[in-house]
Amino acid sequence: MIHATAAHVLRRFVAALLVVLSVSTAAFVLARLAPGDETTTDVMEGVDPKAIADTRDRLGLDRPFPVQLAQFTWDLLRLDLGESAKFDRPVAALVAERGANTARLAFVALLLATLIGLPLGVVTGAYSGTWVSRLVSTASIAVLACPPLVAVLVLLYIATTTAWISVAPGDLLVPALALGLPVGAALERLQSQATHDAMASLDLLAAAARGIPSHRLVWVHAARQSLRPVLGVYGIVIGSLFSGSIAVEFATSWPGLGRLMLDAVQYGDVRLVAGCVFAAGVCLAVGNLVADTLRSVVDPRVRDLS
Amino acid sequence: MTPSRMFRLALVIALVVAAVIFSRRCGAPQSEADAVPQNGGTLVATYRTEPTHFNRLVEARPMARLTALLTQATLLRVDPNTGALVPRLATEWTGTPDGLTWTVTLRRGICFSDGTAFTASDVLFTFQAIYDERVKSPLALDMRAKGQSFQLRAIDDHHIVLTFPSPFGQGLAILDSVPILPRHKLQAALDAGTFRDAWSASANLSDMAGLGPFMLQAYAPAQHLRFVRNPHFWRTDATGQKLPYLDELEVQIVPEQNAELLRLQSGTSDLTNGGARAEDLAMLRDAETAGRVTLVDVGPAIDVSTLWFNLTPGSKAVADKPWLAQEAFRRAISHAVNRQAIVDTVHLGAAAVVYGPVSPGHGDWFVPDLGATPFDLARARTLLTSLGLQDRNGDGVLDDASNRPVEFSLLTQSGHTERERTSTLVGEQLRQVGIKVNVVPMDQRVVQARYASGDYEGIYYGAQANSKDPTGSRAFWLSNGPMHFWNPNQPTAGSEWEGRIDALMLQLAETMDHAERKRQFTEAQQLLADHVPALWFAAPHVSVPMSMRVGGATPTVIQPPVLWNAEELFVLGPRR
Repeated sequence: MIHATAAHVLRRFVAALLVVLSVSTAAFVLARLAPGDETTTDVMEGVDPKAIADTRDRLGLDRPFPVQLAQFTWDLLRLDLGESAKFDRPVAALVAERGANTARLAFVALLLATLIGLPLGVVTGAYSGTWVSRLVSTASIAVLACPPLVAVLVLLYIATTTAWISVAPGDLLVPALALGLPVGAALERLQSQATHDAMASLDLLAAAARGIPSHRLVWVHAARQSLRPVLGVYGIVIGSLFSGSIAVEFATSWPGLGRLMLDAVQYGDVRLVAGCVFAAGVCLAVGNLVADTLRSVVDPRVRDLS
Repeated sequence: MTPSRMFRLALVIALVVAAVIFSRRCGAPQSEADAVPQNGGTLVATYRTEPTHFNRLVEARPMARLTALLTQATLLRVDPNTGALVPRLATEWTGTPDGLTWTVTLRRGICFSDGTAFTASDVLFTFQAIYDERVKSPLALDMRAKGQSFQLRAIDDHHIVLTFPSPFGQGLAILDSVPILPRHKLQAALDAGTFRDAWSASANLSDMAGLGPFMLQAYAPAQHLRFVRNPHFWRTDATGQKLPYLDELEVQIVPEQNAELLRLQSGTSDLTNGGARAEDLAMLRDAETAGRVTLVDVGPAIDVSTLWFNLTPGSKAVADKPWLAQEAFRRAISHAVNRQAIVDTVHLGAAAVVYGPVSPGHGDWFVPDLGATPFDLARARTLLTSLGLQDRNGDGVLDDASNRPVEFSLLTQSGHTERERTSTLVGEQLRQVGIKVNVVPMDQRVVQARYASGDYEGIYYGAQANSKDPTGSRAFWLSNGPMHFWNPNQPTAGSEWEGRIDALMLQLAETMDHAERKRQFTEAQQLLADHVPALWFAAPHVSVPMSMRVGGATPTVIQPPVLWNAEELFVLGPRR
């Protein structure tokens, strides 16, 4: 069994590696094909054309696109992400610095989402039809339906007007709530459905018939049984935390990878765009790998199917 | 209820009311008028971009300018409100009658923030760095007269002689943009060819020193910069009190403009990046009425958005639609646009009608009604008819001689409400004379890229101006300038009138007499108005929002509107 699991993990790892390299290269290609380049902003700022020509030469922008792509790919294979044109610093250092911040934010947001979403999901799934269940479900749907930027601004408004939470750049709570609440709402919905299904399963009916107390039936038996499908989406959830963090980081001034990427896109810093995508790809791949591995350990059918 | 009980109740109510009033009084900032500047306290400003470099000599972006303004000092300053030269590190200056050679006396007994004495060698070093080819300083181009570097030499530690190689119109005012850097900190980097890397955003802050009112104590990337009082700062106020008044100034990096406003309104921050957007004015006025913010109208902006067509010879726009290149067509548009309607609807009345790139905000460089083309639909129609543009198929849109409809696409910056709304309104107004405008809002970068590649028909956009002096906008006026929007980077002037403007602007750069400079610039403006290469409609008033805690502010239209005199700012009351 251990051998089979290791082989499964290895296969997934190789696939993840290919995915990361592909999306990074695709990001480079798309960013380079977009109108403008690293010197476009300089043109409108009236920078001396000679200085612009120097920059273009330094960044190799005058070389044919296939040459630039080959250089990027070769650098990527050596894990050299190049220099950021905007920040005049190695992309790897910038990405590591901001990626650590995003990871911290994502971790806290995931923790909040889990602590809020799963218990509420068990409640709404096990006691569906009650007013508590209806209230929580409605709130979850409202949070899920709200665009991230609007949700962040509402949270910021509450935080700034009540002064209950600090909104200084670098403070974690507002961005973590902004990022975590929609994920918590999604987890609540999933957990609710899974719990509802579990409660209707024959083994739980049998357990109830054996006289197991209802709270134990819900919080131990149904919760454990319903966790399996929810666990499977954690990889996707981690990915969504990274992609959803762009709006949140932008509005709350959180110094993370999402904001760095937005800066890079706005400036046309192609190497930095690709570097950010590379980092996000690695996080997503690791998240999926962990989720897959856990699922393959918990459910042998997954391993066998792959 | 007995009278004694009523009395006790009244007393309690009176005490409660008094306590509430007293507590509010204590918590509320004092009014600016009766405020006496006090030392101490912290103000929080927000900025939307983060720094990439702290050295103004190698970086021209707003954050590098702000850092230089707060941590460094110049020999003299041009007061942004009055235009007068104000002594800074230089206490006095005397020039030869031809204005070419200036003897500048430097302030004695002052130190950099690390305690090292300031001498003439620091001034010479700064100019050495500017002119060093390896530094590639964005200031180098401005510090030349007819392409020649200024000559500087030290007479002693406190006197320098500055010689312009040829007449230089801006004169000593140019020194306002040159922060004097510490030779003892940077000479080694300059010698080693690593000057560009010194004082980068990832550099060790303890390696920095300056003569400005503050020192950069901490920088958290993408979060904030914390500036603390420079104990060695040399300025005092009229009463002899040492400046700056503030202990600390925190600049928080908040990229989202709505979040920036929320912070200001809630009292979390005190100052924003610049003027308020037109769409935020109503909300800010409500906040002002509620006593949460102060809104100061500092007059019309000096960077006016421009509508221009791609008139580059051989461009697809001109080849497909030759009428775009006709002066009469552009003049017809100018007559067909109701500028006052733009002022009233887009800017809610807070703007000035303009017909050229120079607004009333430019002070005496502005000539009222120069090149005015009053709103006159009949005149516009006549001009269009004179070009052979008529509605030949009765669809309400004019057609050219080849029966092609008179329509053009107008790119503008999406998310920039003023530009989007103005473009739409101009499109609607031009429909009345049979011109169809397809407004295409695009991301700012895409607009810039389309401009740089010449792949467009018309653009409504603008660039930030940092100086009221016309020489500060040479990139626009000169035919070889990158921002000569309608036909940039011309090897030689493509038309006689552009050649004449080039000559006037070069003369202006070399003329020292202000009246003569004004005459030259008025002629250049008149030529521009005569040939209508581009169109201008309204110069929005710049309204600078601040928290009620900010004292000593004298906002201006030039960036940064409030922090330009950060040393004189003080705190009026506690944070709400």
